[in-house]
Amino acid sequence: MKQLIVLAIKDILRRKGKSLYLLLAIVIPVAILSTILLTFDNADSSLSDLASKFGFTLIIQPKNVRIDKINQIGVNTAEYIPMGMVGEVEKIVCAIIHNPKDKIITVVRLYIEEGIFIGKSKVDSVVAGVDFKTELAAKPSWALTEGRWPTGEREAVLGGTYASSRKISLNDTVTISGTGFTVVGILQNYNSSEDYMIFAPFDEVQKLFDKTGLVSVINIQNISLDKDKKLLRAAIEDINKNIPNVTALSPQQFSTMKYTLLKKTLKFLIAIVAATIAVSIFSIFNIVTSVLYSRVKEIGLLKTVGASRSQLLTIFLSEYLTIGMIGGIIGYSMGLFMTYLLDSFLLKLGAGIRLNLLYLLMALLVGVLCSFISSFYPTHRLSKIKITESFRTQWEG
Amino acid sequence: MDKTDSGRFLELREVNKTFNLPSGEVTALEYISLTINRGELVALVGPSGSGKTTLLNIIGALDRPSKGEVVLEGTRIDTLSEEDLVHFRREKFSFIFQDAKPLRMLNVLENTLLPFNFFKPKNRIGNIKSEGIEIIKSLGLGHRLYHMPSQLSGGEIQRVAIARALITHPAMILADEPTANLDRGNRLFVIDTFHRLSKEKGIAIVFSTHDLEIANRADRIVHLKDGVFLKDEALACPPCKVA
Repeated sequence: MKQLIVLAIKDILRRKGKSLYLLLAIVIPVAILSTILLTFDNADSSLSDLASKFGFTLIIQPKNVRIDKINQIGVNTAEYIPMGMVGEVEKIVCAIIHNPKDKIITVVRLYIEEGIFIGKSKVDSVVAGVDFKTELAAKPSWALTEGRWPTGEREAVLGGTYASSRKISLNDTVTISGTGFTVVGILQNYNSSEDYMIFAPFDEVQKLFDKTGLVSVINIQNISLDKDKKLLRAAIEDINKNIPNVTALSPQQFSTMKYTLLKKTLKFLIAIVAATIAVSIFSIFNIVTSVLYSRVKEIGLLKTVGASRSQLLTIFLSEYLTIGMIGGIIGYSMGLFMTYLLDSFLLKLGAGIRLNLLYLLMALLVGVLCSFISSFYPTHRLSKIKITESFRTQWEG
Repeated sequence: MDKTDSGRFLELREVNKTFNLPSGEVTALEYISLTINRGELVALVGPSGSGKTTLLNIIGALDRPSKGEVVLEGTRIDTLSEEDLVHFRREKFSFIFQDAKPLRMLNVLENTLLPFNFFKPKNRIGNIKSEGIEIIKSLGLGHRLYHMPSQLSGGEIQRVAIARALITHPAMILADEPTANLDRGNRLFVIDTFHRLSKEKGIAIVFSTHDLEIANRADRIVHLKDGVFLKDEALACPPCKVA
């Protein structure tokens, strides 16, 4: 077996040109497939990361928030929920968890998109009205890189990227709706939308923008719901059924909803890749057939020196399967590189290069299968050729 | 099972071969009977289409007769399965074809040892590689051991084919036009080598040729025409004719 594989590899090296054509026919579809899957995987992971950074079990937002109403950094600044709904949500969650010791932390936020004055320059920004105490209770990992949390009126905390990109330091003043706020803290970067926001006390933001009694989102944190997905599903169903004009989601559902459109696109792109693979199989079939017909006399020679049909099949299939495997690995590597380029220059998900063993195995499998499907018939057929026919034939490569 | 005389290696009995072509049935061989002994050098001579290659193919079990029997050392080989024939050919026969060039990705030594990629030699003492080197050297290719086929002349390529045929210690070598496309010096070298091997190692060698000068150096010449056996001519003193 080992000697037959060595023969196969020597033959690949001898037919460099044709082997390269074959390799290319495998690398292209595998690279496209890997790029698509890795990119969507990155998008999904970064969204999941984003969602998990909120640290919430449930997110309740206005019903039917349209995609075009979600601003650049991914938050809804156009639709609101009456604050009276908060009590109703808590009541439903309490009824479902049946555990009085299990604390429910409710965190509300109000998002406003507004032109903020930093010195004399006006910058379009998202202001988040938050209750710092409850936020910190729900998210102990929330941390500042410098400064402190607001303790009084007219104090604000800035997202890390927001502060650094606009060169704002501690004790600078930002003017929100005509009122000056002192920057008392700079939030650590979490690679989330929070990096681009200004955080100010909830009540003050409500008053400044005349949104008293309204919130943009209600976030619930509860350990029982975190642990038991059935309870979580029941809570979501009950809230959606009993409270009008709101939609309850888990962070994962939230990300799923946002990427529904992208996932449909993924299916479409995979259909295109399937077509590319079909074309590739056809090309490999043609190349393999032409190569094998040019080797008919060689097949005859191998049979005369004692090669059995199964040994010939082993040699030829080893050749094409080796090329398929190499094509799979190169295709996957190219897919990683293209994903990195797409991420760096176009999508900016901040995912970098993430190796995915499952996709590597899948790329190998696609390469090997492409190669096997397209080479099996010609190799099987030609391995059956009689020695006498092989020397009579006029086929030449 | 049929036992033969001790010197008799292979026997063809009333062998007939027809091919079914779109234009109709073509008879390639008509009731050929022939005996080949151990250590005998036999030339098959006849014009193109006379059935030389078909006869060689049937002798070497590469093709089956339409009628008749092929008996090798008492065993009918025309009725063996394809799998059994593979084993039989490995043990008994070696082939040299005019068109069978060495594998381009292997050097001279690797081409010589090619059969042992497919089966292990039985009852062999000593190092196969050393034996391969000795055979190559005996054929005057000692300086070409690690050269690739693209670096060899036509005569050298045919010597590689002879080396590959010898490495398996066959009982019989079948050669189809082994001297075609060679210059006179190389033609004589090939036929002298065949003569030496048949006498020194007792290998039965059957080759086809158009070249009467070469055929006249065999022990016997079998004349064929249109698939019909014309005459079996035993030559008195072939070695005297070697230049």
